[in-house]
Amino acid sequence: MKRHHLWLAAALAALVAFPFIFGTLHTNLMVRLAIEALFAVSLNLLLSFTGLLSFGHALYFGVGAYATALLLTHLEGIPLLAAVLLSGMVAALTALVLSPLLVRVRATAFAMLTLAFGQLMFVLCSKFREVTGGEDGIMGWTTPPLGIPGLFSLDITSPVNIYFFAVGLACLGILAMWFFTKTPMGSVMISIRDNQKRVDYLGYRVVLTKAVIFCLSGFFAGLAGAIYAVFNNLVSVGGVLHVMVSFQPLMAILVGGIGSFFGPILGSGLLLLLEEVTQAYPEMAQLISGVIFILVVMFLPGGVIWSWARARAWWQKRSYLRKSREGMA
Amino acid sequence: MNILETRGLSHDFKGLRVLFDVGLTVRQGEHHAIIGPNGAGKTTLFNVITGTYRPSGGQVIFKGQDVTGLAPYQLARRGLGRSFQITSTFEKQTVFQNIRMGVMSRRGIRFDFWRRVESLCPVAQETEEILSSIGLLAEREVLACALSYGKHRALEVSMALSTNPDLVMLDEPTAGMSKEETHATVELIRRLTSGKTMVIVEHDMDVVFSLADRITVLYYGSILASGPPEEIRHNQAVKDAYLGDMEFSHVL
Repeated sequence: MKRHHLWLAAALAALVAFPFIFGTLHTNLMVRLAIEALFAVSLNLLLSFTGLLSFGHALYFGVGAYATALLLTHLEGIPLLAAVLLSGMVAALTALVLSPLLVRVRATAFAMLTLAFGQLMFVLCSKFREVTGGEDGIMGWTTPPLGIPGLFSLDITSPVNIYFFAVGLACLGILAMWFFTKTPMGSVMISIRDNQKRVDYLGYRVVLTKAVIFCLSGFFAGLAGAIYAVFNNLVSVGGVLHVMVSFQPLMAILVGGIGSFFGPILGSGLLLLLEEVTQAYPEMAQLISGVIFILVVMFLPGGVIWSWARARAWWQKRSYLRKSREGMA
Repeated sequence: MNILETRGLSHDFKGLRVLFDVGLTVRQGEHHAIIGPNGAGKTTLFNVITGTYRPSGGQVIFKGQDVTGLAPYQLARRGLGRSFQITSTFEKQTVFQNIRMGVMSRRGIRFDFWRRVESLCPVAQETEEILSSIGLLAEREVLACALSYGKHRALEVSMALSTNPDLVMLDEPTAGMSKEETHATVELIRRLTSGKTMVIVEHDMDVVFSLADRITVLYYGSILASGPPEEIRHNQAVKDAYLGDMEFSHVL
């Protein structure tokens, strides 16, 4: 327990010190990681903990991003935190509206339905030029400072400040979802993944529980989208609603470790790193990442985290055997 | 007093009629067995009563209220528990976690996401009590899928009882068990359901005659006879229906 706390304190210290040690370039990379990780963990709540594969999670990310862009553009004087949280709620509301249909299907049907809704939102936002700006998107709004009017205010446009804003919110969000998996309702969620029929016959409302999980997952995906909007000061359909935006966190989960809570964060980090490395060879980037995905699927099934756990177990067994052999000799 | 009553219950699967005008009555506190040859509609009757299917016709009365067409979770909350012919537990979870799901449901802890599930002391305590009463305390931290077949079946039965239902319906609890396992499971069921109302579907006639106070014979979707074991044993229609069935003629 003590060692556990020590690690946590070290990680926290590293996170705080990061922007002061590394330059703007890497600080911005960490902001992107915070956004991606929060997004991936929110999707993982469905994939690893409810057993539902969603191909349209960009829908909530995009709704959150557009909500923030619209709020900051059209509602003058709205506090930044209010805009961001409200955007998460709008995304949750979207999930609630869709849930009557989504709770009734599973497996492939669920994947196809979420894909359809995601694409529907993509097309809607592309066509509604008056509101969303179509392909050009929304940009150039002035981001209000973070704070309480009259008490304190923090200019969020500097790289260091947006770093703390994004990383702080992402950590809180991830922590909240992690706590959720440990609550009684989290147990019901995991049990729905394992055996929905049994949960039903034990007296739990499967449909309602799923709807709440969709809203929760949608909220944090929307929050990630809102942070994205604040960070980029630009929201366009290609950037937040495209089908690739849905696939990115799926990749992060698969690479990091499906079935584990923290695996997707690791996966997001690895993917970002890969993206940075391959940036030097733009024409080769997709080829390289494609090959790496194939290698991961072939040689690290379940993702990096599980392979790491397996390797450690193997190593422990080996050293134990060696020790016992030496003891016998 | 009847805890469960079906009136003119019928069910068909896309035109294939499986239940015809079934009028089953289960009295408070009795151990009621439903028997019948393969394909008689026993499991379908179970499924219609417990809310898996909405019946094509007729009514289900549970504790004096019409519960026809209610969803399984609604029936569970009204005090109906059931086990399945094909074991249906949370296989990737520990035995403790499996039973805890039932205990939580009975205590109404369902939409609770502001405290850790581990912090619920009364729930953990009650779960441990159940585990020790079913003899699975030593397997507390074992994953359900790693249990032996007999123990897994015992867990299945215990899941149905973990919500402390007023009426528990067991669908072939000893299916596929060895003689010793069957014997142990029968003893377990007898112990856990003493003083409770139970409906059991069973193929093994030894089990039926050792557990049941009353027996209903289902034959091609209709009730052929219903009464105490002795009466059923000597019923000519039942004998005719089972003619050639080695299992039953051996018992008779």
